Amino acid sequence: MPPVIDETKCIHCGKCADICPLSVFFFRREERAVPEVRYPDECWHCNACGLDCPQGAVSLQIPLNYMLLRIEASQLKQTKE
Amino acid sequence: MIPVKKHLSTDVLVVGGGIAGLSAAISARASGVGVLIAEKANTLRSGSGATGNDHFLCYIPEKHGPDVSVIVKELHQSMMGASQDVPLSRRFLEKSFDIVKLWHSWGINMRIDDDWTFMGHAFPGRPRIFLKYEGDDQKPILTREAKKAGADILNHHMIVDLFRTRDGIAGALALDVSGEAPSFAVIRAKCVILATGSGNRLYTSRNTPGTLFNTGLCPGCTASAQAQAWRIGATLVNMEQPVRHAGPRYFTRVGKATWIGIYRYPDGRLLGPFVTKATKELGDITSDVWNSSFSDVMHNGTGPAYIDCSDVPAEDLAFMRRAMASEGLTGLVNYMDEQGIDPARHAMEFGQFEPQLMGHGVQIDINGETDVPGLFAAGDAIGNCRADLGGAAVYGWICGEEAAKRAAACELVPEEEAEKDAWLAERMAHYSSFHERASRHGWQEVNRCLQQIMSDYANVGPHHVRSENLLNAGLKYLADMRALAGTQMAAPDAHTLMRAIETLDLMDCGEIIMHAARERRETRGMHIRSDFTFTNPLLNDKFLTIRRERGKPVTAWRDKLTA
Ligand SMILES: Cc1cc2nc3c(=O)[nH]c(=O)nc-3n(C[C@H](O)[C@H](O)[C@H](O)COP(=O)(O)OP(=O)(O)OC[C@H]3O[C@@H](n4cnc5c(N)ncnc54)[C@H](O)[C@@H]3O)c2cc1C
Ligand code: SF4
Ligand code: SF4
Repeated sequence: MPPVIDETKCIHCGKCADICPLSVFFFRREERAVPEVRYPDECWHCNACGLDCPQGAVSLQIPLNYMLLRIEASQLKQTKE
Repeated sequence: MIPVKKHLSTDVLVVGGGIAGLSAAISARASGVGVLIAEKANTLRSGSGATGNDHFLCYIPEKHGPDVSVIVKELHQSMMGASQDVPLSRRFLEKSFDIVKLWHSWGINMRIDDDWTFMGHAFPGRPRIFLKYEGDDQKPILTREAKKAGADILNHHMIVDLFRTRDGIAGALALDVSGEAPSFAVIRAKCVILATGSGNRLYTSRNTPGTLFNTGLCPGCTASAQAQAWRIGATLVNMEQPVRHAGPRYFTRVGKATWIGIYRYPDGRLLGPFVTKATKELGDITSDVWNSSFSDVMHNGTGPAYIDCSDVPAEDLAFMRRAMASEGLTGLVNYMDEQGIDPARHAMEFGQFEPQLMGHGVQIDINGETDVPGLFAAGDAIGNCRADLGGAAVYGWICGEEAAKRAAACELVPEEEAEKDAWLAERMAHYSSFHERASRHGWQEVNRCLQQIMSDYANVGPHHVRSENLLNAGLKYLADMRALAGTQMAAPDAHTLMRAIETLDLMDCGEIIMHAARERRETRGMHIRSDFTFTNPLLNDKFLTIRRERGKPVTAWRDKLTA
């Protein structure tokens, strides 16, 4: 579930749903409810929702298979010399 | 049948409210004509510039000197130089400083350190062509300016087809995706500007093969412009030439030039000879020059390649962190923080991403117009002048001006004619069939199948070949898949129908790429033909065009414009 909404902070303004470039959320203004993350697989993890939520209620949960591959840079230095 | 709920008309219809589209809308309004932007998401945060960019390719006389040709030459020698018609890149560069100044006046900071500062993608000792800027809020600012100029914006409307008369463009068909139930809007327009960005989701993700949306550029950009222009007979160019970006693995995101560091083999040796100590002024250019480097070192076992930022001065690392926010990389940066990944301490593996369509597509003339009169195109979707963000902003502007001129002098097609249009009726029936069908086969299956076929039969270098045999097989399988999708793909609501139509657009592009790749009987760049292993010097200054005539692809070679 890439974007995660903190329900205790959300004020149901619909901003995240309106601006998401991939239309990941489903929100009906009349219902005044927390937007539903209806298409989690279609999240680009651009963080627009996180940046624009007036309540700071959205965070991203990056899928485990997006793991960033890295090593300690000092390992490169040991062999470099 | 999905109902037509709106009939709209405008002087200039802009398809896609990204960088090029918003720029076009503002300039067309400045020329006094009516403008409507149709955007599938929301112009505030849509497209590849959604949360920011930080390099604007441009020519600033006070920095570069009075002779623009020096910068034209530099652009042509850059990694985006191959598919440029020289007069177009010259016009772009000559106009670029005006647009930079406009952006600055609107509150997008184009003068970091209170000056025009060029860094990134730079060669030691060469003129620098990328202006460093702070693009975090570029989309909200451009949206505000478009509204201020009086452009109408129709968010959550995807353009799904164009329609034309014998004389030229007549308008477009939009799918309203703002609610759960889809409906159509028929938009008549005197001119249409295509600005739908790049083409992603065509090839299997290199980083995470199981996913469709882990892409370097915005996965909501699916080469609509190319597919839709093709369907009404406009000419495309350079479609067989792929672009592959590179960056971190496995979280795919472009923005390589924002990283400040040196590329190294696991044993610490430098990947390239260009820079030994990276600073914000000058990073490592190796992978711009040796585009396939990250793949090559995996292929020959000497890799993987790492970017090492640990020798970069602390002050420059702080600068890089700030620049990453401007570049729209907060999703990545937040994730690195969460995982305790610190560029001062960790070397990140870099790799090449899957191919995509960017700067290969709709052919335009010097005014941004296609060979369908009144149909214009700008930005990542065009095929003969690539300059990414800067190119989109500047050629978008030029298109807006030129389209406004044309619109002021021509008439809308009458409403009755649009209502009777057989092509529109056929397309509406086609799209409706996916919505009306009871089937569980979603668009994802079709999109994945397309990616499988493209990655198996039309893949690109390094280390993958194309050939007459493979391409013929690919075309056959693509046709089979099209038949399957045509009878079995289902889209129960507006959102899934949008994705299904994106997939159909991508399928058209896959087919176009394969036809063009078959015609290019030589090896050039990442287009590697196992049956024509040489680069043919007779094709050095030639571009391959392709268009559809009576349902059949017609390819032709033309001279690249050099004057
Ligand atoms: C993280 C990142 C960093 C980058 N950094 C740089 C940089 O520093 N310098 C640089 O030069 N380039 C950079 N780029 C590339 C740059 O963002 C693009 O070249 C630029 O945005 C292209 O502008 P465009 O208008 O052609 O497309 P976009 O800005 O992508 O806009 C296309 C728009 O069309 C909409 N759309 C698509 N299809 C349809 C349809 N059928 N109907 C309606 N709307 C549609 C999309 O939703 C989108 O809003 C970066 C890209 C990314 C992702
Ligand atoms: S933007 Fe924030 S406050 Fe508004 S609906 Fe979304 S999560 Fe809730
Ligand atoms: S991160 Fe971007 S794509 Fe994902 S839900 Fe948020 S706004 Fe949408």
